[in-house]
Amino acid sequence: MKILHVVGARPNFPKLAPVYRAARVAGLDQIVMHTGQHYDDAMSDAFFRDLGIRPPDVNLGVGSGTHGQQTARIMERIEPELVKHQPDWVVVYGDVNSTAAAALVAVKLGQRVAHVEAGVRSNDRSMPEEINRIVVDRLADLLLTPSRTADATLRAEGEPASEIAFVGNVMVDALLFAVERARVTGARKRVGVENGKAVVVTLHRPANVDNLLRLEGIMRALRVVAADRPVLFPVHPRTRTRLDAAGIDAGKVKLMEPVGYLEMLDLMDAAHAVVTDSGGLQVESAALGVPCLTVRDTTEWPETVTCGANRLVFDPVGLPAAVASVRRLAQAPRPEGWDGMAAVRVVDCLRTR
Amino acid sequence: MRLLHVVGARPNIPKLAPVYRAAAARRADQIVVHTGQHYDDALSASFFRDLELPPPDINLDVGSHTHAVQTARILERLEPIVVAEHPDWVVVYGDVNSTLAAVLVAAKLGVPSAHVEAGLRSGDRGMPEEINRIIADRLASRLFTPSRDADEILRREGEPEDKIVFAGNVMIDSVLHALPRARVLEPRWRGTDRPVVVTLHRPSNVDDPRRLAALAEALVAVSADRQVVFPAHPRTQERMRAGGVSMPGVTVIPPLGYLEMLALVDGAHAVITDSGGLQEETTVLGVPCFTVRATTERPVTVREGTNVIVRNPSEIPAGVRAARRRVNPPRPEGWDGRAGERVVAGLGVI
Repeated sequence: MKILHVVGARPNFPKLAPVYRAARVAGLDQIVMHTGQHYDDAMSDAFFRDLGIRPPDVNLGVGSGTHGQQTARIMERIEPELVKHQPDWVVVYGDVNSTAAAALVAVKLGQRVAHVEAGVRSNDRSMPEEINRIVVDRLADLLLTPSRTADATLRAEGEPASEIAFVGNVMVDALLFAVERARVTGARKRVGVENGKAVVVTLHRPANVDNLLRLEGIMRALRVVAADRPVLFPVHPRTRTRLDAAGIDAGKVKLMEPVGYLEMLDLMDAAHAVVTDSGGLQVESAALGVPCLTVRDTTEWPETVTCGANRLVFDPVGLPAAVASVRRLAQAPRPEGWDGMAAVRVVDCLRTR
Repeated sequence: MRLLHVVGARPNIPKLAPVYRAAAARRADQIVVHTGQHYDDALSASFFRDLELPPPDINLDVGSHTHAVQTARILERLEPIVVAEHPDWVVVYGDVNSTLAAVLVAAKLGVPSAHVEAGLRSGDRGMPEEINRIIADRLASRLFTPSRDADEILRREGEPEDKIVFAGNVMIDSVLHALPRARVLEPRWRGTDRPVVVTLHRPSNVDDPRRLAALAEALVAVSADRQVVFPAHPRTQERMRAGGVSMPGVTVIPPLGYLEMLALVDGAHAVITDSGGLQEETTVLGVPCFTVRATTERPVTVREGTNVIVRNPSEIPAGVRAARRRVNPPRPEGWDGRAGERVVAGLGVI
């Protein structure tokens, strides 16, 4: 059996990694195709080594552009590759443009598509990721879900039960695989934070960083938080551009270069709380038992909220009080399927269907 | 109110026409973008004339390619136009690659989009059109359906009630509008008797040489009784040449304009086709239709109309021989010539 994995942006790799390793153990042929929709220098050999996988076999080098341009380039460049490799399964991950574009091309070629992290919805169609999710789930032949909520969402959208398989959360697989090594990276020591004191921040969504009033409001709240405790903010390049352009004052907030996967895990593990608009960090902080404050009005990971690890704080004015009130969870919550075995179940599904 | 209509292939144009006319009557601001996804479209221009439409405002000239490349070109070239034109609605039609690409562009830009002829399903995902339909329906903000069974399909797919608007069949609007003009045409391709009219273009029929040969054999047998006129899609003619398939006795002609084709079908004894549109047009004209496919996305044409699904080509000659034209053709609900007006009302054009 031959599997062709398609990944396109950094958040895809921690999802790919456990599936890749499980398929290697199962002795399957694998090709990892990186569309190159998101390229950054931090994605070096060390990045892949951290995740326990080899670098991608093929890089299509599509680069950045508008959604239309990028999706177009991915479609054009991936079609001949899919024709050439004739995989038994095209496996796509998450919700980036590559996810939707690869599924569309594969389905038109009559190739079978499996979507890892299916049925995840924010119910906010102004998010480009939500459009990608809706498209890929409509097209894929095998919908591998991270939660029972996702199963129910797909059934409500009319997807047949035979195409839906609950496997659990592959991002948690990656985290459990890496967390011990993360704790010996020394990242928390290098940054100089005491355990359980700092707040780790990430922001990258257009809704937060493209709207200057909103970005200024969030930064004002973070400056207030930084008066009491260290605030570490590894800045996404897109966010950096916006901050610089607007000349927004960071105050005592420590702006940092983006950090690697293991270092980020170690910083989060050492944190008092995480403030983010990322989907992946909501899951990762919950899995570490670190309180997460999500600066959005929707979440695609409701189980992180119901297990008590995550709270939506849409209005940044509420952030300082929220940061002051949260406590680390005594025990890291483990919703169903957060057991480190999701990728094994993914590979079982691929082999038996 | 500004509407940006996107069409890409000939079958879209009779669907656009009634919507365009109804919106023009209410003085809506309209832009028609033709993606040019058909390379053989000298005929596209004649379709616009035949349907009394002004020529498209913008032509993207994407040309004919693989599905992925064609869809990609449409995405790239359409996106800046939607950004520049600021429409209140992007309106798409049917099930071609342009339909899918345009709703995807609109969805990512946060521009509302409407799909005219929503909720049709063949249930066969091997048809590229089926993929285009299911994505267009999932992404569009308003779904105009041609029949009540399409409403039901969309509900089962979890589409919210307020997205679904029963409009009726816009293609039938065009047939009823054009029929008086078609009937006074001097026919170029009709003999003395009522002919049998054939169209074939789907990959499942024309890409497999054995299937194409079996169809050719059936058509040759039919031509023993009656003249068989076959306006052949260039793609089909190419496949016939490549597969060494010949049809002695069958009158193979180039594709026809909208009015000429309507006149030919209106005067026919029967139609043999794999097209979606002809299954509907023959129903309102009372002309027996033999659909050479395993499935239809237009079941109302079988239930209420003149359409019969024929899976095995060898059944065609006897079927055609026994067929009789209907004197009082049926009119399914919403096939009343006013579907375009209901679409425009549903878009809130006042």
